[in-house]
Amino acid sequence: MGALDGLSVLDCSDPRGHFAGKLLAGLGADAIKVEPPGGDIGRSYGPFLDDQPGPERSLYWWHYAAGKRSLALDLHSADGIELFLQLAGDADVVLETSQPGRGRPFDPLALSDYCPELVVLSLTPFGQTGPWRDHAWSDAVGLALGGPMGSCGYDNIPGTPPIRPTEHHAAHISGYFAATAACTALYERQESGLGQHIDIAMHECMGFTIESSAPWALYEQHPLIRQAGRHAGPQPTEPWQYPTADGRLINIFGMPRSEASWLALVAFIQEHGMGQNLSELELLDGRKRQLGLQQPSVAVMLQDIAEFIAAHEAEEIYAGAQAAGAAWSIIRTPDECLADEHWHARGFFVDVEHEERDLTVTFPGAPYILSETPWTHGRRAPLLGEHTREILCGQLGLSDEELGALIAAGVAQ
Amino acid sequence: MTDSEPNTKPPLDGVRVVDFTWIVAGPTCTRLLGDLGAEVIRVENEQTLDSIRFGRPHPNGFDPPDSGAMFNWLDRNKRSITVNARHPDGLDLIKRLIRVSDVVVENYSSRILENWGLSFEEQRAENPQIIYVSLSGFGHSGPQRDYSTWGPTAQALSGLTAMSGLPEAPEPAGWGYSYLDHMAGFTAAAAITAALKHRRETGQGQWIDLSQVETGMALTGSATLDFTVNGRRYRETGNPPGNRSVWPQAAPHNTYPTAGDDNWIMITCTSDAEWEAFCEVSDHPHWRTDRRFATLPARLRHEDELDEQIGSWTAGQDGRALMQRLQAADVPAGVVQNGVDLVVSDPQMKAREWTVTRDHPVIGEHLTDGLQIHFSRTPAHRDRPGPPLGEANQYVFGELLGLSDERIAELQMNGAMG
Repeated sequence: MGALDGLSVLDCSDPRGHFAGKLLAGLGADAIKVEPPGGDIGRSYGPFLDDQPGPERSLYWWHYAAGKRSLALDLHSADGIELFLQLAGDADVVLETSQPGRGRPFDPLALSDYCPELVVLSLTPFGQTGPWRDHAWSDAVGLALGGPMGSCGYDNIPGTPPIRPTEHHAAHISGYFAATAACTALYERQESGLGQHIDIAMHECMGFTIESSAPWALYEQHPLIRQAGRHAGPQPTEPWQYPTADGRLINIFGMPRSEASWLALVAFIQEHGMGQNLSELELLDGRKRQLGLQQPSVAVMLQDIAEFIAAHEAEEIYAGAQAAGAAWSIIRTPDECLADEHWHARGFFVDVEHEERDLTVTFPGAPYILSETPWTHGRRAPLLGEHTREILCGQLGLSDEELGALIAAGVAQ
Repeated sequence: MTDSEPNTKPPLDGVRVVDFTWIVAGPTCTRLLGDLGAEVIRVENEQTLDSIRFGRPHPNGFDPPDSGAMFNWLDRNKRSITVNARHPDGLDLIKRLIRVSDVVVENYSSRILENWGLSFEEQRAENPQIIYVSLSGFGHSGPQRDYSTWGPTAQALSGLTAMSGLPEAPEPAGWGYSYLDHMAGFTAAAAITAALKHRRETGQGQWIDLSQVETGMALTGSATLDFTVNGRRYRETGNPPGNRSVWPQAAPHNTYPTAGDDNWIMITCTSDAEWEAFCEVSDHPHWRTDRRFATLPARLRHEDELDEQIGSWTAGQDGRALMQRLQAADVPAGVVQNGVDLVVSDPQMKAREWTVTRDHPVIGEHLTDGLQIHFSRTPAHRDRPGPPLGEANQYVFGELLGLSDERIAELQMNGAMG
């Protein structure tokens, strides 16, 4: 069983909350994706099956809606909102992402008053208050305003802008806060019997996800310099990414701290007839190997290491360095991750049946292994309105005629 | 925004966490738990102190280990005890603490706790309901369980580094900080709160085996599926795409220079309506009818020209004023802010009191940053500063575990506490 087994989540989110809903579904909740007739906008996000767009062909949707059920219901219609409120009366969590002044279908605070046992989770760009609360937003704008992007970019290519890491990371970051908030409120409810309203501003979630930029700003009001492939810092530091003989890149940030590990790394490199300067006595002093301080000893060390990496293949360097206790890595693309047996041995990748297409699809799986309440990927993402009938007729007791009328009126699908 | 008021209990009130974490990933998790009201007890050892205690900056010239800004930022709302787990009496103290606690969190390499005699089974022998979180690079199973990571290493292995950068650059820009340290910490917090909820219902504890690289790979769904479904390798189509948007398709979607040194604005038009609104605000309304830019497919075909023209228009303009003009027309636009902007000049953060002044026994008054989760009924809090080393020894060993003053003095002398 899952940790949230038996709990019902009404997920009215747009792409800001799709990941949050996925996390709750993975923990075992019955997550009902409430989407407008015509389909959630996420169904229009690529990539697409065979590159052909279509509401059932979005691989974005396949990933983020997996394990959820689909109820296609127009919350901006009187009938739709009435049915929704009936469902909310029996639900445990409502997840919504609408901004206060942008024509939202219901007022989440009023809903919280209306259903005192319900956890109403508002995950919005800037929260329920403040001068920007209704500002237009996209995931990229969120990463720009919130701080993460300001630390990412190139120091070695003049004139280039800060770089936004791709994928929907503003939603990923705040999705975890939303999932934690929901679980925490449900935990608290077990004692008090009461739900509550939760206001999460994605902007504030970004502000906690900038590592040392935060203390440098809070204490010294000192901005950091963004640098390719490594931490932004108050001063420039040495590069960490080095090209290999087979056209890939190695990240060498995890330099050995212990003498034993350093000697093992040196031995590994010298077995290949390289790295003679690494035997310099001063490099036995861990402080003389420390990256980030622009020390002459480190410059000599890095030159030898760069030459070694340039002359060898990535997988060999990675395995040898890790065996020596150096936390070096290969810079992989997502497709390359699938070739690593370690993740398969742990069961990370999951095969999911798409029965109506006679297709088995491999997905990235659980972000954590819970020993007693395993995270489950759940079944393939729901087709548009796939569960409308079982929810409206099965749960709310509508007759087929009533459902037919709603569909004819465009309220349900 | 509301900080805890008198007589309101935060939602994790009564939950006690034994915190063996260090650096960033684990402490990110336990900061969140502490903000939510858990009693977080950092188990520290004077011989191998958390290097974050020594991280810069050190405000007002005070020396570590109690003055570090990074430590005080990341480890607020926690207590600190000093114990040597490799001393038999020290191990005994830890086991006694586990008996009266709810959660154990650690982010050491995968065999450390096992070597101390604190495997999950051994913890469970002390406390059958314990929730144990091991947060490591590769997890505690699989052929590479002895490999190790730092945030940047994990990001590189997960695919996330490669997905950030300019297409023509010889290397990715990656992430300018340990994104996966934060994300693994957030992931752990979500798993712990779910496990607490399950335990309150069933009495059952559990072990959460968290791999930092897996938390990263879980964020690459679209790109992974493009390979497993369509057979397309990530680099085949000129990735990474810089600040443009491949999925969903959108143009303009980029950063553009504004007045001053290294100032940028992100402008994203994700619908025709937003593009039309953008053209109205710009001093170039004819862009809207220009055949190169009239439709999304056309804009994508002519994206270089589009970005160049927009960049010429934004260059020299005040970024914040431009953002306001575009926002007034409902165009998603935001200046690229850094940490200092968030603290000093962000009006939204100001209005929501994201930073507040707090006191600290060594460094005195300082700013601490915001809470992310605002509960209407059981507010989180941010009242306690990062703990001076060992500040809770008396509280934990005396009050919680009931040791006599003589016994505590003895343990200090024999090296079990220290």
